Amino acid sequence: MSDKNSILERLSRRDAQRLEKLQKAHKAREEVDASNENEDFFSGAFKIKSEYIEQLLSQVPTLEVSVLPSHFDNIKREVNELQKYVVTSSFFLKEFNMRKYLGIVQNLQSKCYELEDRYVPRKKFGFTKKKLPKSDSHKQNSIDDHDGVDKVDSNKWDEKFFGFDSQNGKVLLLENDDLFQRDVALRNLKNCTIGLKGVMGTLHLTNLDNCVILSGPVTSSVFVDKCTNCKIVAACQQLRMHTSNKCDIYLHVTSKGIVEDCSEIRTAPYNLRYDDLEKHFNMSSLDRNNNNWDSLDDFNWLAPDVPSPNWSILDAKDCVHDWTEWWSKVPS
Amino acid sequence: MGFLTILKKLRQKEKEMRILMLGLDNAGKTTILKRFNGEPIDTISPTLGFNIKTLEHRGYKLNIWDVGGQKSLRSYWKNYFESTDGVAWVVDSADARRLADCARELHSLLREERLAGATLLVLANKSDLPGALTLQEIREALDLDGIKTHHWRIIRCSAVTGENLLEGMDWMLDDIASRIFTLD
Repeated sequence: MSDKNSILERLSRRDAQRLEKLQKAHKAREEVDASNENEDFFSGAFKIKSEYIEQLLSQVPTLEVSVLPSHFDNIKREVNELQKYVVTSSFFLKEFNMRKYLGIVQNLQSKCYELEDRYVPRKKFGFTKKKLPKSDSHKQNSIDDHDGVDKVDSNKWDEKFFGFDSQNGKVLLLENDDLFQRDVALRNLKNCTIGLKGVMGTLHLTNLDNCVILSGPVTSSVFVDKCTNCKIVAACQQLRMHTSNKCDIYLHVTSKGIVEDCSEIRTAPYNLRYDDLEKHFNMSSLDRNNNNWDSLDDFNWLAPDVPSPNWSILDAKDCVHDWTEWWSKVPS
Repeated sequence: MGFLTILKKLRQKEKEMRILMLGLDNAGKTTILKRFNGEPIDTISPTLGFNIKTLEHRGYKLNIWDVGGQKSLRSYWKNYFESTDGVAWVVDSADARRLADCARELHSLLREERLAGATLLVLANKSDLPGALTLQEIREALDLDGIKTHHWRIIRCSAVTGENLLEGMDWMLDDIASRIFTLD
């Protein structure tokens, strides 16, 4: 009897083992199969999602105008998600079905745009012209009428303007905290001396005539556009100079300067001194030991072996070596 | 997983995309490109001509063309339009003065026939700077909501900190992928 029992026991144990093994194999196969990567599962999930979007779209007429933009954003996001879902499933979908699903997505998308057009009226595209506001200077209260200088177009972003605009025969100064990492602009100036003792993000010089610019370090670019007869002392990462002539640049540039549509530009090494200059250099993280003042790229002169006729190196005997007196005087 | 499935998955991996980086000068196109590629960004000079980088990202092979934005180079942009899958339009968020220029250039670009169907990613670069415009202001100034001819998205980013660069690029890749694969 005991023999029979032991045999039965062994048999049932082996049967259990066999079943377990089968189950494991089945499971493993299922994992590889990824049961959600088949058409039935997909079409179900797709249906739920597309119906949800339809529902969102049908809510549009009942919603208030103020919440509509975010509602539409939401719909667009959902549509995008759905499109992504179809595309990532492309490897198991049949060609024909793929097209069908994408057609539905497209449909939802155009419906969404249609509704948005109808319910969220758009402003027409255009730039309004505003009057020039006063410049941000605290040191300068009276603004003289400019004398027939061609003004550079202003636009609706003028409230963001920081710097000096439309001056003649002035000595102007901006310092330290006012400037820190700002986008500073000087434009429409004539016969002025501008001191900028601080670290700027970007410096724009536009439409200057017979001006002296004494500038501390600029972290990114110095832009010069439509300037004539100017002396510019500046340190920066890049110099970009356009449509200017007869300017002397005392330059510290850590990458490279370029000129475009310029003539009679002369360069010299940066030689400005003022009390906090070293500190400002450190704050700007410009490399003091790396200065490419003597190699400008000219966009109008692409021959590498012949030097550009539009710029040259300023003869040492013509350089201004000390700017001390210039901080306080108007250029003659 | 059948043999065909494997083949299809392999084919996906071979996908190449051509991406054009455009925008006004000083927008930060080259800086973004170099940041993507993990190169130093402190010695970048204004681009005289163009840079091309080929890089692998998420299994796609990306050919990114970064063309200089100076006025004298903009007329050459059209030479790069052919078979472009996506345009990354880079905007200097701190440069409000030239936004009108920027909008004009962008909209004339979008009228270009050879770019029809290309995905447009607007990168509002330098958004970390003080005085930078908000995303909404740029969106309005560039009249992005008026664009019906292209899939577009605007995202604030900073090439210097690297913020949001990958997110933007990922969106563009997804959008391009969703178009390209439907043609299979």
